[in-house]
Amino acid sequence: MARPRATIRSPCYYYAMRYISERSTDPGLLVLSSLAGGSKHGYAITQDVEEVSGVKLGPGTLYGALSRLEGKGLIEPMPAEDRRKPYRMTSEGSAALSEQLEMLGRVVDTGLDRLRVAAEPA
Amino acid sequence: MRRRLQRGALALYPVAFRRRYGDEMLALVEDSPASSRTTLDLLRGALGAHARPPAGISATLSSEDRLRATSSGVLACWIAFAAAGFGFYKTTEDHPFSSAGDAHPAIGASHMAIQILAVLASIAVLAGALPLIVAALRQSRRARAVRRATGLALGAVALFAISTGALVVFASSTKSLSGTAGGVAFSAWILIGLLCGGACAFAGRSGLFAMRVRRRGLVAALTCGTLVTVAMALMALTTALYIAALAVNASSLAGQENGPFGMPSVGISIGIQLVVMLSAASLATISTRRGWVALRSGGAT
Repeated sequence: MARPRATIRSPCYYYAMRYISERSTDPGLLVLSSLAGGSKHGYAITQDVEEVSGVKLGPGTLYGALSRLEGKGLIEPMPAEDRRKPYRMTSEGSAALSEQLEMLGRVVDTGLDRLRVAAEPA
Repeated sequence: MRRRLQRGALALYPVAFRRRYGDEMLALVEDSPASSRTTLDLLRGALGAHARPPAGISATLSSEDRLRATSSGVLACWIAFAAAGFGFYKTTEDHPFSSAGDAHPAIGASHMAIQILAVLASIAVLAGALPLIVAALRQSRRARAVRRATGLALGAVALFAISTGALVVFASSTKSLSGTAGGVAFSAWILIGLLCGGACAFAGRSGLFAMRVRRRGLVAALTCGTLVTVAMALMALTTALYIAALAVNASSLAGQENGPFGMPSVGISIGIQLVVMLSAASLATISTRRGWVALRSGGAT
């Protein structure tokens, strides 16, 4: 039996793309991804996130994310350097990030597979 | 100017959040370009921090400071509520509304109930605020921050009184506030009133955190704040009843022109006022609840 041809406009495609765009610009995920590369203070995090993802985190968004992550125990502050306080990821943060990225990876793989099938000639 | 606005936006964050992250945020703001986008981001962040405080952040605040935050929060909500309430009063003061109130008991009774609640809430505000104002005036000689807050509040009240006097003189000289000149004068007065209200709310908060207040005084302020909150919630609900009664019994009034330039209809005006009232009452309820929780956990002495 011929496999039904998925179209680019299928609801699955839209769902996957929406999920990726929402999740990949989630400030918490971006901050955790940045801290996965080592401890950083606020300014260094914004620079790193902008360089990697093109997303410019404002101070309000950044500290909203940092406070939530710290509240959940996913990151922790280190001793302050002047007024700047570096943050590092905890082991719980590392596990949460890896779980999130694996899930995103599955969505990305599925989306790309479906796109490839859709692009194949009938 | 933008830097000053950004520092002002930082001051709008909850106290516990500011104490924990304020210095770091200020350092980041000073390192970032002074753009309007940054200011908007800070304002959005402040709103988010109030609406969804991060887990455990409130525990860093002493119960006295929580009571200070609650009292100043309820004051700010009351100022916003009073501005909307004054708009409601101006919208419904004319003859057709009083006639509708006489003809339909639901309209008349709800309007009367709103006025009675407004008087009771004003008395509760005065009872809670007066001892604190007296204490602030006494301490303003010694403490610079208290002096600055007191000066700001007194300046705002004086400016509002002068602008109100000027509006009354203008209205009596032109016999009414209709027409373009009247509309501009009334709009300017509203704008000045809102700015003065905002300045008073800001001064109340910064003054309350800068001055020494006995725990007993803070508990009294919380009690008055709770009464004000209950009155605000009842007034907002009664206003909703008034709108429903107006829509059912005197629907033609809802479509009438209203405001300085007759721009929004009566229905739209009252709708906006109701949204402000409900928002202010809800925020005051959240703040008051946090105050009582802190009082119980900190022990009432």
